[in-house]
Amino acid sequence: MAKLANIGDFEKLMETVKAGRESSARSVTVCCGTGCVASGAHDVIAKFQEELKTRKIDAEISSKATGCHGFCERGPLVVVFPDRIFYQRVSAEDVPEIVDETLVKDKVIERLLYSDPVSDEKITHEPDVQFYKRQQRIIFGSNGMIDPTDMDDYIGLDGYAALAKVLSDHSSDDVLDVIERSGLRGRGGAGFPTSRKWRITGAQEATPKYVICNADEGDPGAFQDRSLCEGNPHSILEGMAIGAYAIGASEAYIYVRAEYPLACKHLEIAINQAEDRGLLGDNILGTNFSLKIHIKKGAGAFVCGEESALIASIEGKPGEPIPRPPYPAEKGLWGRPTNINNVKTWASVPYIINRGADWFAGIGTEKSKGTMIFSLVGKVNNTGLVEVPMGMTLKELVEEIGGGIPGGKKLKAVQTGGPSGGCIPSELMTIPIDYEELAKVGSMMGSGGCVVMDEDTCMVDVARYFLSFTVAESCGKCTPCREGNGRLLDILVRICGGDGKEGDIELLKELAGAITDGSLCALGKTAPNPVLTTIEYFRDEYEAHIKDKCCPAKVCKSLITYSIVADNCTGCLACLKACPAGAVSGEKKQVHVIDQAKCTKCGACYEVCKFEAVSVE
Amino acid sequence: MKRIGVFVCHCGHNIGATVNVTEILKELSRYPGVVHCKDYKYMCSEPGQKLIKDSIAGEELEGVVVACCTPSLHEETFRRIADSAGINRYLLEIANIREQCSWVHTDPEKATSKAATLIKTIVEKTKLNDSLEPMRIPVKTKALVIGGGVAGLQASLDIANSGYEVVLVEQNPSIGGHMAQLSETFPTLDCSQCILTPRMVEVGQHDNIDLRTYSEVEEISGYAGNFKVKIRGKPRSVDLEKCTGCGDCWNLCPVMNKPEIRVMQSVSDSMDPDMRSNLDAVIDRNGCAREDIIGILQGVTDEYNWLPRDAICYVAERLEIPVSYVYRIASFFTQFSLEPRGKHIIKVCLGTACFVRGAPRILSQIQSDLGIAPGETTEDGLFTLETVNCLGACALGPLMVVDEDYHGRLKFTRVMSALDSYK
Repeated sequence: MAKLANIGDFEKLMETVKAGRESSARSVTVCCGTGCVASGAHDVIAKFQEELKTRKIDAEISSKATGCHGFCERGPLVVVFPDRIFYQRVSAEDVPEIVDETLVKDKVIERLLYSDPVSDEKITHEPDVQFYKRQQRIIFGSNGMIDPTDMDDYIGLDGYAALAKVLSDHSSDDVLDVIERSGLRGRGGAGFPTSRKWRITGAQEATPKYVICNADEGDPGAFQDRSLCEGNPHSILEGMAIGAYAIGASEAYIYVRAEYPLACKHLEIAINQAEDRGLLGDNILGTNFSLKIHIKKGAGAFVCGEESALIASIEGKPGEPIPRPPYPAEKGLWGRPTNINNVKTWASVPYIINRGADWFAGIGTEKSKGTMIFSLVGKVNNTGLVEVPMGMTLKELVEEIGGGIPGGKKLKAVQTGGPSGGCIPSELMTIPIDYEELAKVGSMMGSGGCVVMDEDTCMVDVARYFLSFTVAESCGKCTPCREGNGRLLDILVRICGGDGKEGDIELLKELAGAITDGSLCALGKTAPNPVLTTIEYFRDEYEAHIKDKCCPAKVCKSLITYSIVADNCTGCLACLKACPAGAVSGEKKQVHVIDQAKCTKCGACYEVCKFEAVSVE
Repeated sequence: MKRIGVFVCHCGHNIGATVNVTEILKELSRYPGVVHCKDYKYMCSEPGQKLIKDSIAGEELEGVVVACCTPSLHEETFRRIADSAGINRYLLEIANIREQCSWVHTDPEKATSKAATLIKTIVEKTKLNDSLEPMRIPVKTKALVIGGGVAGLQASLDIANSGYEVVLVEQNPSIGGHMAQLSETFPTLDCSQCILTPRMVEVGQHDNIDLRTYSEVEEISGYAGNFKVKIRGKPRSVDLEKCTGCGDCWNLCPVMNKPEIRVMQSVSDSMDPDMRSNLDAVIDRNGCAREDIIGILQGVTDEYNWLPRDAICYVAERLEIPVSYVYRIASFFTQFSLEPRGKHIIKVCLGTACFVRGAPRILSQIQSDLGIAPGETTEDGLFTLETVNCLGACALGPLMVVDEDYHGRLKFTRVMSALDSYK
């Protein structure tokens, strides 16, 4: 691939690429994000290629493996262009039919369409699906149209135009002004204004300066960074290049989790392609600006998402945070000024440059601009990645995009911000998504995890779960975090085990305050948040565990018993066979009995019973 | 056969609460050679002692086993009873069923059976015991210390300062050992010379210490209290009276017979050559600087599934960093394992989304069926079970990944059949 010598060359290339991609051409895309691949998308795309080839129509109709579309719940997803006919849960066996009917004869196959869980209506076109309809997909929008390993796909959608624009007529101050006017704030969780961070780093006298992309997405239940790295790696590289230009850095790192092998692979391919084309590396597009981007793989430590721990880890040290200030903007990697931003922040930058600061600032609320990508997961019908404008309410997010709670259950809470965030109760679902509003109710934006919980979720158990996570992930440097969180967990385990004592709630709160005050980094400071918010909004559940020794959600094993409802039992032997402890006895067509002494409360009987004859109390 | 009596002590609850003494008595009374069995709450008390004394006389015992606490507490007590009852004191033995049994076990059934075995063993020993008479033999109060490193120096000084003669043998021409090669010492960063040299001088000057440098121990014979040691002084051909230790002769000598400074042995000499070339490839790919350590260890993990000890030492050697630093990195990050892992790695996602969808139950199902906890490997080396915080495939939860294969929307009833395909 020839290197582009100047900006004129790039513009010519873009024209050629765009001309070669008629928008009316028929093509089929298969989502090959991790979710769909896990459901068998690789077989589907292989089958498409094989079928098109045997019918000798592979020249007219192209097939493409794209990045994540977001609607992982219904994967593998297939979209037929140009009409965007949307097929879901497609298997390799369905492929010949899709080729014959839809691609050749232009007929829609009813049974593969998505049916709306509320109206039961079959939806033919992708944009009409309720899940997509209410979203505003900017950063994430191109994912479904791009083969992440093909750079021309990105260029065909105005990729690298923003970098070319910046290099042709923007000074670094111009770039900083645009970003400032756009109101972009850090998408990693804390929401620090991006332009201010860039300015501080840019103003430092020490050189060299570094730029880092934080792709160490550790929050359980969040996978949007992964999807972006996998699905549209060039947008991240372009954003980093623009940022590095504004700051005056010529070396950059992407710190990505080793647990995301596909993301690492796609980023590596993208960097190589961009360097081959002269869009990264020395003298980008013939200008004086050079940027070398390295990939560093994290080795599985949640705390490395914290910036000073991340930097330590790049330097080959254990990922332990250090006190700030000095902030990385002053003394970061190798003691030099360093600017760290999250994947989504970097990926937003090219769009802001291309479409203008005013356009971006026009989306969202007064203080939170643009869109936010959430991974909407847990007890919700439409699990997946959603990109919505700031200011949308949680209710809209869960009910309209998420399609409500499965099985007609009631919404209990939404947990945002990962293990550092809080649980927002159903009464507060009308608050808008906004950095400040979420903080007001004790939670946070975080990196965009959004876990929906229904009435079957025990909030004390959830608090215990998050604590066990932070206890395991604490690096152990600060005593309040290492020991204090361990004690919080001990108390929660005791409460869940039915040994809660009067005064435990007060003790939890007091301890939580000390941990928040005494810890160095955000991991320790925010670790008690899930405990504090669940106590605030679900105090009755704590009290039920402590005083009445019962678990209202029927989750905590020590506080529940399984028994057979004699009236409903048909004596089908299903639970008897399922019980791993041999605690169920009975004859065929006779009412069964559970031996409480043997019962391990695994719930197997409850799950297999088709007659509602097993009850939990 | 000797007539043996067995006396079992309850030691209050110390033994009695864990070991079933009645059961022991029943079993031991049927044991060959045991003619008399008795228990008592506190055998070391006056009535307890009397019980033993009376039984020795009344039952004409020729051997006595007391099952109680450690011999360091009451062996002397009970042997005095034997003396006063008129049998040889060395025909009485202690079976320790407190420190070695009741205190360290919780399961009464198993503890009882262990206690019985301990007692039977001592009964067998007692059958073989002869009557012994104590005698006095002269003992030389003189010590030999081998090795003039800092430990040998300190030991010599301690003994010499207590008033005994010491012979200190050192194979090199000078005392001081490895510590003389160090700059600072852990963890206080004290200067090692400041610790070492005063002791070296003190040893050289001490009246009670006979310092034999450039000498080796050739033969040791004799027994405790009366050892005979043969020490060979190597030929120096130097008049020690006049030598000032200036070292000029070393430098001038055409035959380089200088004392050897021993260096730490390199792991690369002893390791498997295949492993060495694999590791070289990994290090060359990642770079040889301290900052490359994480990438290198990831490469080693890709190669071996875990971090073998030799690999860690070799990486430290090539990167010229302490082994302890490599261990620090290897133990900090969860991706690295210091234990061998199975052929197939099962990762169960315990991310929030999977958690609320029932992942804990999936995990406990696998745990109980494979009989291993997270972090462990099955005995046949087939599976290693691990948990991860999030695999980023939340829509498929609950989820497990075996090697590279995703198993999503799992039902606990289907988990084991999914694993069967890997067997």
